[in-house]
Amino acid sequence: MQEHIGAYLPVLAANGVSVRFGGVQALDNVSLDVGDGEICGLIGPNGAGKTTFLNAITCLTRPQRGSIQLSGRTISDAAVRDIIGLGIARTFQNVGVYGSLSVLENVMLGAHHKMGGKFVRALLNPVGAWAEEKAVRRQAEAILEELGMSALSAARADSLPYPLQKRMEIARALAAEPRLLLLDEPAGGLTHGEVSEFGKLITTIRHSRKLSILLIEHHMGLVMSLCDRIHVFHLGRNLASGRPKEIRTNEAVIAAYLGRSE
Amino acid sequence: MRNSVVRTAATIVGFLLVAALLPVCLSGFQLQQVSIAISYAIAILGLNLLMGFAGQICLAQGTLFGIGAYVTAILNATYGVHPLATLPAAAAVTALAGLVVGLPALRLQGLQLAIITFGVAAAFPQLLLKLGTWTGGVSGLPIDSLEPPAFLADYSELWLYLVSLGCACVAAMIVRLVLFGDVGRALRAQRDSSQIAEALGVNLTKTKLWAFAISSALAGLAGGVFAILNGFISPQSFLAPLSITIVIGSIVGGSTSIVGAFVGGLFITFVPTWTSNINLALGNVIYALALIGIMLLARGGVAGLVDRLTAALTTRSNPNGKAGQSAN
Repeated sequence: MQEHIGAYLPVLAANGVSVRFGGVQALDNVSLDVGDGEICGLIGPNGAGKTTFLNAITCLTRPQRGSIQLSGRTISDAAVRDIIGLGIARTFQNVGVYGSLSVLENVMLGAHHKMGGKFVRALLNPVGAWAEEKAVRRQAEAILEELGMSALSAARADSLPYPLQKRMEIARALAAEPRLLLLDEPAGGLTHGEVSEFGKLITTIRHSRKLSILLIEHHMGLVMSLCDRIHVFHLGRNLASGRPKEIRTNEAVIAAYLGRSE
Repeated sequence: MRNSVVRTAATIVGFLLVAALLPVCLSGFQLQQVSIAISYAIAILGLNLLMGFAGQICLAQGTLFGIGAYVTAILNATYGVHPLATLPAAAAVTALAGLVVGLPALRLQGLQLAIITFGVAAAFPQLLLKLGTWTGGVSGLPIDSLEPPAFLADYSELWLYLVSLGCACVAAMIVRLVLFGDVGRALRAQRDSSQIAEALGVNLTKTKLWAFAISSALAGLAGGVFAILNGFISPQSFLAPLSITIVIGSIVGGSTSIVGAFVGGLFITFVPTWTSNINLALGNVIYALALIGIMLLARGGVAGLVDRLTAALTTRSNPNGKAGQSAN
């Protein structure tokens, strides 16, 4: 466990990040930080660049300018596949599940980066591979249990309804044992009752694992009740950031959401 | 979980039962043909790993099969190595060749990769002729016939059958070990979505190249076994269409199945002969109709069809949809 005595060291610190796709400036000089153990919301109207920002953090998109640091270490030039090992796990906006694999297999894939897909070991030390497989399975089953999905572990992932696929993706991200969890619209498709239950789940997860979470979500009720701090993007720029209370009453934010001109 | 263990056990018992019955029921010549089919099955096993589970197309499996055969033949005919002792070398050399064939897969996918690998297959027979000092050119190379141990002295076909079966079991074991656990999941993950797989930390380059190496090693082993069974090889045995035939065997048997590889090997060995026995002039037409019929009836190959039928029978007693991707 790292102790940050004195200076506040954010888990995630992005500074002056710019991403351009051809003629479109998707992100323009945005900065954002997530503190240790914090749940941060990232909101903004469609096209604000929220998902692009997550892609930049996970190196799926390379920013033209700016720096991204994880616990003080620059990660913007890391290989895509190394990100999860550095401690960042994510879910995808349009669910990134493996439909033909079982729920349990999907979750176990979250722990892949710890095992590393060692072919030589699989061939020469099957007993070791088997023991490791058992341990990883037990861990994945515990996570599914925690998320109330035990009964579904043998089901094909594509047989699950959309909200459960999203939940399974969170289980997979947790199997990676990350320091920072990036959730891209995890409550999409949930009914009103399910949303509040989902909120409780996130709070439990955060406390049981000392996680920091960056949450993209359109469901304002959830964001306002769950987040310690909220960052607002608009048209690829920082619009505001602060506590939920402040954001709710921020004139610029209200204007952006209601499309009022200044 | 327990379900899949029971299924694997049932598959192994069934397989061994059939394997034990074949020598009893078949003539010496037929057993020899089955042994050849098993050598193709080993190459198909490799291709199933590569094509079915890793999602890479390779239309040069017949060429890699040929490389293995020539390694065995050259080591035996030129250097006097015992035929069985050449098999590890055949597998190793072919694995290296497969890595080279697989390099374009790091950049290309699907059709482009198919064409490039088929180019290799098209060039191979002529390269064999050009390298006549080693390969014996058009006259080919002989391989010492395998002396059976004393207790099988009068049953050389049976001995060859047991040798090829033993090699096939090793190959099946290798595929099973690779498909087990984390490595197998990573293979399937990069097949279904390379972007998500990479985000999950899968090393795409390493995974693809290993798949090519193992698949090719099995093709090389298969070729070595084929050379021993035949006692003689020439470029004529490894023309470009052989690679297509092996792909057909993989798809007909079921490209995500281990048992399916054996079905595929038997299919490509026996069915063309049977169809031309029905009518010599229309043999190819009947063969083509058989292929079309199988693809209409069983998109996942014979093994896929069997899986679907058993699933249909078991879901009646067990209504939960199960994910059946375990390789049997």
